[in-house]
Amino acid sequence: MTTNDGALALGSGGALTAPPMGVFARAGQTKGWRSWITSVDHKRVGIMYGAASLFFFVIGGLEAYLIRLQLAQPEGKLLSADLYNQVFTMHGTTMIFLVVMPIGAAFMNYLIPLQIGARDVAFPRMNALSFWVFLAGGIVLNSSWFLGGGADGGWFNYAPNNGVVFSPSHGIDFWNMGLLLTGISSLVGAVNLITTCLNLRAPGMTLMKMPVFTWMSLVTQFLLLFAIPVLTAAQVLLMFDRLFGARFFDVSAGGDPLLWEHLFWIFGHPEVYIMILPAFGLISEIIPTFARKPIFGYPFMVFSGIAIGFMGWGVWAHHMFASGIGPISVAAFSVATMFIAVPTGVKILNWLATMWGGKLRFTAPMMYSIGLITMFTIGGLSGVTHAIAPADTQQTDTYYIVAHFHYVLFGGALFGFVGGWYFWWPKVFGYKLSELHGKINFWVLFVGFNLTFGPMHILGLQGMPRRTYTYRDGYGFNFWNMVSTIGATLIGLSFLYFFWIIFHSYRAHKKAGVAVGPDPWDARSLEWSLQSPTPAHNFDYTPTIEVFDDFWHRKYGEDEDGRLVPVATGAEIAQPGNGEGVHLPSPSYWPIVLASGMPFLAYGLIFNLLLVIPGVLLIVGAMIGWILEPSTDPNADHGHDDEPSGPNDTSDVAVEPAANDEGDAVADEANAPEEVAAR
Amino acid sequence: MSDATYVVSDGHTVDHMDEHPPTSTGISNEKLGMWVFLASECLLFGGLISTFVLYRNKVLPSAPGETAEHLHDAFDIAFTSTSSFVLLMSSLSMVLAVSAAQRGDMRILRSWLAVTALLGTVFIAGQFYEFYEFSAIEGFGFTHSPAWSAFYTLTGFHGAHVTIGIVILLVTLGLTFRGRVGQHNAEAVEIVGLYWHFVDVVWIVVFTIVYLIK
Amino acid sequence: MTGGARSRLLKLAPALGAVMLFAASCASDAPQDTLKPEGPAAQKIDNLIKPIFGIAGVVMVLVLGGALFIAWKFRARDDDDFNEMPKQIHGHFKAEIGWTIAPALLLAVIGAFTVNLIFDLAQKPEKDAVQVEVYGQQWWWEYRYDLNGDGDYTDIITANDLVIPAGREVALKIKSRDVIHSWWSPRLNGKKDAVPGRVHPLTIEADDPGEYIGQCTEFCGLSHAEMRIKVVAVTEDEFSAWTEHQQQPFEKPTDEAAINGWGSFAGQCTSCHELTGMIDPSSADDPSDATDEFVFPQQKNQVSNAAPNLAHFMTRSTFAGAMYDLRKDTPECTALGTTWASTDDGIEKCLNRTDLEAWLRDAPAMKHMAPGDVASLNSRGMPNFDLSEDQIDDLVAFLTTLK
Repeated sequence: MTTNDGALALGSGGALTAPPMGVFARAGQTKGWRSWITSVDHKRVGIMYGAASLFFFVIGGLEAYLIRLQLAQPEGKLLSADLYNQVFTMHGTTMIFLVVMPIGAAFMNYLIPLQIGARDVAFPRMNALSFWVFLAGGIVLNSSWFLGGGADGGWFNYAPNNGVVFSPSHGIDFWNMGLLLTGISSLVGAVNLITTCLNLRAPGMTLMKMPVFTWMSLVTQFLLLFAIPVLTAAQVLLMFDRLFGARFFDVSAGGDPLLWEHLFWIFGHPEVYIMILPAFGLISEIIPTFARKPIFGYPFMVFSGIAIGFMGWGVWAHHMFASGIGPISVAAFSVATMFIAVPTGVKILNWLATMWGGKLRFTAPMMYSIGLITMFTIGGLSGVTHAIAPADTQQTDTYYIVAHFHYVLFGGALFGFVGGWYFWWPKVFGYKLSELHGKINFWVLFVGFNLTFGPMHILGLQGMPRRTYTYRDGYGFNFWNMVSTIGATLIGLSFLYFFWIIFHSYRAHKKAGVAVGPDPWDARSLEWSLQSPTPAHNFDYTPTIEVFDDFWHRKYGEDEDGRLVPVATGAEIAQPGNGEGVHLPSPSYWPIVLASGMPFLAYGLIFNLLLVIPGVLLIVGAMIGWILEPSTDPNADHGHDDEPSGPNDTSDVAVEPAANDEGDAVADEANAPEEVAAR
Repeated sequence: MSDATYVVSDGHTVDHMDEHPPTSTGISNEKLGMWVFLASECLLFGGLISTFVLYRNKVLPSAPGETAEHLHDAFDIAFTSTSSFVLLMSSLSMVLAVSAAQRGDMRILRSWLAVTALLGTVFIAGQFYEFYEFSAIEGFGFTHSPAWSAFYTLTGFHGAHVTIGIVILLVTLGLTFRGRVGQHNAEAVEIVGLYWHFVDVVWIVVFTIVYLIK
Repeated sequence: MTGGARSRLLKLAPALGAVMLFAASCASDAPQDTLKPEGPAAQKIDNLIKPIFGIAGVVMVLVLGGALFIAWKFRARDDDDFNEMPKQIHGHFKAEIGWTIAPALLLAVIGAFTVNLIFDLAQKPEKDAVQVEVYGQQWWWEYRYDLNGDGDYTDIITANDLVIPAGREVALKIKSRDVIHSWWSPRLNGKKDAVPGRVHPLTIEADDPGEYIGQCTEFCGLSHAEMRIKVVAVTEDEFSAWTEHQQQPFEKPTDEAAINGWGSFAGQCTSCHELTGMIDPSSADDPSDATDEFVFPQQKNQVSNAAPNLAHFMTRSTFAGAMYDLRKDTPECTALGTTWASTDDGIEKCLNRTDLEAWLRDAPAMKHMAPGDVASLNSRGMPNFDLSEDQIDDLVAFLTTLK
């Protein structure tokens, strides 16, 4: 093992080797910041996705809070109309493209290879590329705040209001460029993860034995694969209109604004499922673990996910019931939209059926999962009321819609993600987040969430339109807006609390000097058969899968009476984490170099085409370097130092036995000191 | 620690398995990845083709006072048919290149790669000429009207794809000289071919919709 | 005790739902409430959605109550043996088919009613319907009436207040001059987008005379929040009186300040504003002798190519995109209806002079707009013309003659 000599220290494992182009040394660090920016390890990429999303989440959250402060009282004066329009546009865009989608990507990157028993993703360098391009996109989008103001057309940016005439600042150009970049990132990621899911499954891991999370991720990636290019096409049209004078949305020349609406929502509706399906997958792992029962109706769970994926393509125009698309289209999309509630309902009832008859342990992840089920149900039901097209003409573009999509995206996706953080945190970082604080945090967030978004149903039905920087006294909006702002304050506090919990739990863990064992929750899928944090090489040897929930079935067998009894603990059957002889994909500079060329293109197109030149040079240079560099360095030693993927050096680990405690009863004891193994 | 339930599959050594991991589908990652990518491309072109179909009749006069001309009045079908034929022929030469790679016939492989790139270049040159003709001579520039904006965007995107294909072909050609492409990884040539054929097929669709259907 | 807790819970949930609905529908003063229909279309929507809210509420109570019940009933107890596993159930095909089909059937029924209503609401308006073209533009609404059914929508051109006869259908043809807007008066009907280049029909009808508030609901830029809608439903008699009055020709002002204001208006304001039938004050040496009609410039200094036509301005109750009251919002003034300014006394009592003058003084300070550079025709909204106080007084004097 190397010691951590700081950022500039060279790891002994991947020594600098022959320069592939005779110019650059191959990246070889396994520690320090350089090891992160050159990493092609799916786990590190996943962690970086998560960290970057949290950063953007703070920005998007602040924007949300500005909105709530402005609307706390009638005739709010905190923001001007112009600034308010930028803030709500950037809030929506940030939360969707830079928070919910990449948090999903973080989980998918980290977990898919582990859940299918793979060494890494199919294309490790492309995986790093998709993260860096995503980050570049996020930076380009948010740099607009310093370069003349953010986009101001709303997150769906309808034409022709998104044209230069009506939005003369560069905000929408930044929006366009930033989202083109995150689109490239999503596309690269989709190709990569689909190939991974289809191709890198361990022996015996047939498609119908894949964990539900992996399944939902696969569906999500297919949705991305087909939805992103439609958005890209729309954005290309907009870019050409705004920057080069094309006439796509010039009504006076015959352009049709509904083209943008159709293209946007053909992307935009699958996008909704892109955001929610990963969270559905996460809680489909969490609930069986804490119910101590298998997921109820696995095939139904899988096929309802696939059904949602397919039906998600046939309902886009329900965003356009007021757009004047004609009664026949409205009727068709209205009915189609109603029926997409069916597979979603199946999922909810199957989760409840999974809990039914179980022995439920109310750990923090479980509470967030139940939070998702209940809150998503509310959001789903309000969704059905929008499917009634005539009623939707009363509801659309009011706060009722805002309430609806926050119930599904915050109460749904984000609750699932937070639950996922609590659940997989020990696997990723080697320590549990405080259970006690996690549960308190849940209740603060839960109350704050409902206070914020519950009243919006009422506001919407009272006729308060969304995207309005102000409202008047005398419309009955005052009280509930104030309640909503108070709730938003609670949400803000609950996330500050969450960050404190991370810090607190990390410190407790450092003090105790004990890492959790491989299987702290008595969980079911393959990642729990590895040490925590996951060793850089994942599996010492490729597992062979015989049944669904294979790892769990190795822990429990039947006694002579046919009763289920534990036969081994997770820690006993876990892989020891010995990476000797494992050959990993080598780190590479090229993904980040290539991605760093992208913002030059973006700024070049916006400001001055000369800037495109360095961008193209960087991209082409990186591509050449990439092609000439073998993905696995032939000169690298075998047997990498097995650094854990997490940032914490937990090389000396006292393995805690599988959790045979009742999680909520022992609260914080997961990280309690135990005897440290002799060094 | 008991790990009796885990076996190293197929009798491979762990190490060897990492070099050439067998895939679950039997298709290599690279090839599967290319198929998946091309599926996505279908939707990109789908979006642009829909735009064109919606806007094909949104024309304006070339100059104030004149009557608006349909796109077809500017097209030279014979010329474009010829360049389309050239592009289609490049698919044939691509097939021959793949077959040469599989046989390990490097000389023939290089020749067909070069021929494919050349045919692609001829097509692109034709497109440049056509664009010049429409915009500079006939006055139908990119910013003229929705129909022309859609025309240039759709065909231009296709042209960009062909151009990228040419670059890939040339890089592949270069790599044959370094021994990085050959019989041992003939599949690389096949994957390049997949892309190239896809771009050709897209052109058949684009050509039919843009030039042939009135 | 446990059963008691459960039934308490089950009682509590619908009660909570009822409180929410009550809070939504009975707020003391909510003029844009979607649950208080006052026209046939809105009523039909309400009739459909209220039962569905009920069904959704029941489903919500069942699912949420069920989740809480399951969570409570199957919680692991402190004294449980951790190694004692619950029964491992992998699924139940029939149950799952059941809860796939049951909601599908329920939705099919709802769907049938929905489709029925969609086509019902899309029916052509009756023959005697009032024909009105609605133009949305940044950030106000223009209404053009075709009174004689000749397809020419210039019989009346007005803005901000849509005056309609109560009890008669009004066929709106919704259009836009710039970006997408959405016309919505929730107590009369659902919203319909105004998409440039397209015409979208919407039929509204008010059961009774009264004012029906609404606002633009498709984000349309800076002052989207203040692009307001006011439907004024009057009796048939009042409506015919109103239409007749609106078609009266322009009356030249007589008082000196108003004549000065007329001149300023013709000089400055007409590059954006029209005023149907206005006489050109410069067509004679003495404006009061002028007889020629003013020729308004074809090219307006506006992105959207127009500002409100100010003919019979003083019959309106609002200005600036219905953002400000023109007629003071007091019961006494409101009772005067559209004819509030027909007497000097009415003007004296009811004209909201403060806001009108402030608007002329510095319009962009009164409403977020993008007046831009008027000369380069990229103006969206009214600029500040740096008018002197005298000019403002004259202009107000002129405007008050536009009865």
